[in-house]
Amino acid sequence: MTALLSVQNLRKRFGARPLFDIERLDIAPGRAYVLTGANGSGKSTLLRMLGGLERCGDCSVELDGRQLPLYPYPPALRRAVVYVHQHPIMFSTSVGHNIAYGLLARGVDGHDARPLVEEAMAWAGVTHLRRSDPARLSGGEKQRVALARARLLQPRLLLLDEPTANLDGPAREQVIALIPTLLEAGRSVIIACHDRDLIGLPGVQRLKLRDGQLETR
Amino acid sequence: MALLEATGHAFALLFSGDAALWHIVWVSLKTSVLGLVFATPPAVLLGYLIAMHRFPGRRIAVWLAQAALSLPTVLIGLLLYLLLSRRGPLGGLEWLFSQPGIVLGQCIIGLPVLLAFTLAAVQALDPRYAETALAHGASSMRVMFTVLYEARYGVMAAVISGFGRVISEVGCALMVGGNIEGQTRTITTAIALETSKGEFAQGIALGIVLVSLALLMNGALVLLQGEAHNPGARL
Repeated sequence: MTALLSVQNLRKRFGARPLFDIERLDIAPGRAYVLTGANGSGKSTLLRMLGGLERCGDCSVELDGRQLPLYPYPPALRRAVVYVHQHPIMFSTSVGHNIAYGLLARGVDGHDARPLVEEAMAWAGVTHLRRSDPARLSGGEKQRVALARARLLQPRLLLLDEPTANLDGPAREQVIALIPTLLEAGRSVIIACHDRDLIGLPGVQRLKLRDGQLETR
Repeated sequence: MALLEATGHAFALLFSGDAALWHIVWVSLKTSVLGLVFATPPAVLLGYLIAMHRFPGRRIAVWLAQAALSLPTVLIGLLLYLLLSRRGPLGGLEWLFSQPGIVLGQCIIGLPVLLAFTLAAVQALDPRYAETALAHGASSMRVMFTVLYEARYGVMAAVISGFGRVISEVGCALMVGGNIEGQTRTITTAIALETSKGEFAQGIALGIVLVSLALLMNGALVLLQGEAHNPGARL
């Protein structure tokens, strides 16, 4: 199968300490990956690199048959990849406007964005929060709003950094239930996590960061 | 007793609508607000750029921005005097002893305050705001407006602090404006002049206006800071 993305030379050092040195990472279309590893093994840094939020001097990426540097982050990749923080930040507007943010940033007219935002809110089960103050949302609600905000952009690859961290009970279950539905339309997902329920989702491929190397399981 | 008498006259001047006194207040407000209007866009932009970007010499830029806060206004007045005087490089503008000259001085005095406070406000903001904007495809310009919106209480505090600095300075307004009655006499230069003449009533009246403005501005600042630390809270 042709890879959605092939990333080469993913290397990161913190001072003299090498964090990881990954020669190649292939991401297939329509696949879900969980990225595991001990605390401090570099899971978040790796996701941030793939999402263009962390410098990566020698990294390169093959996208649609074109070889591009990973830094500075190419616009084609910015349109294809969306990164979601472990603790998503909400802009101090309404929930609806938070979800619409990416569409508006990409120049979609507010009127055209409205039905798409409604659909995204319904998907994430946050329609009732439309006019809520995002600062007052619970951790689970913020995570679902962030997933809706990212999904709305129809990225080809979603990078989720510990989406269930610090969530428990129904909030955690609601987030986990959304993950398989993200794979629709050939979208790929990489989830950095320790959550056994996420790791055990059917069809999920496990990647493990150990001693600076990426093991595929 | 002289103080009580002068204070009584000061209140009488204020409430009688003394034209000369209120014209001085008007000149002060006009030159200070205009100075800030011109200083705010470049200062906020520079503050944002220094806060958000890593570049060689950044620490020197931060140091200079903070050092400029303590630049004596009388020194800025002296430099502007030399620049704007007939033989100076900007003498052709004929801005010496004029309101545009004072506005230029206020702009230069307000700029470092605005820059340093904006820099601090943006630096203190959670970096996830900019990252989230970027990760969702925002252009550099949109990221900037998003970050400045999220740091708006800090930026507004910068503007209020800048206003406090420019309206209360005396050195530059005196040297560049020349304290010309009806034209370039500001609150602070008038207080200095009236006091030197032993005429305290107008000085006290103008002092009351200045203190009232300072109280208003700082009250707004306290409200803004309260809102920033506890958004949505009701007093």
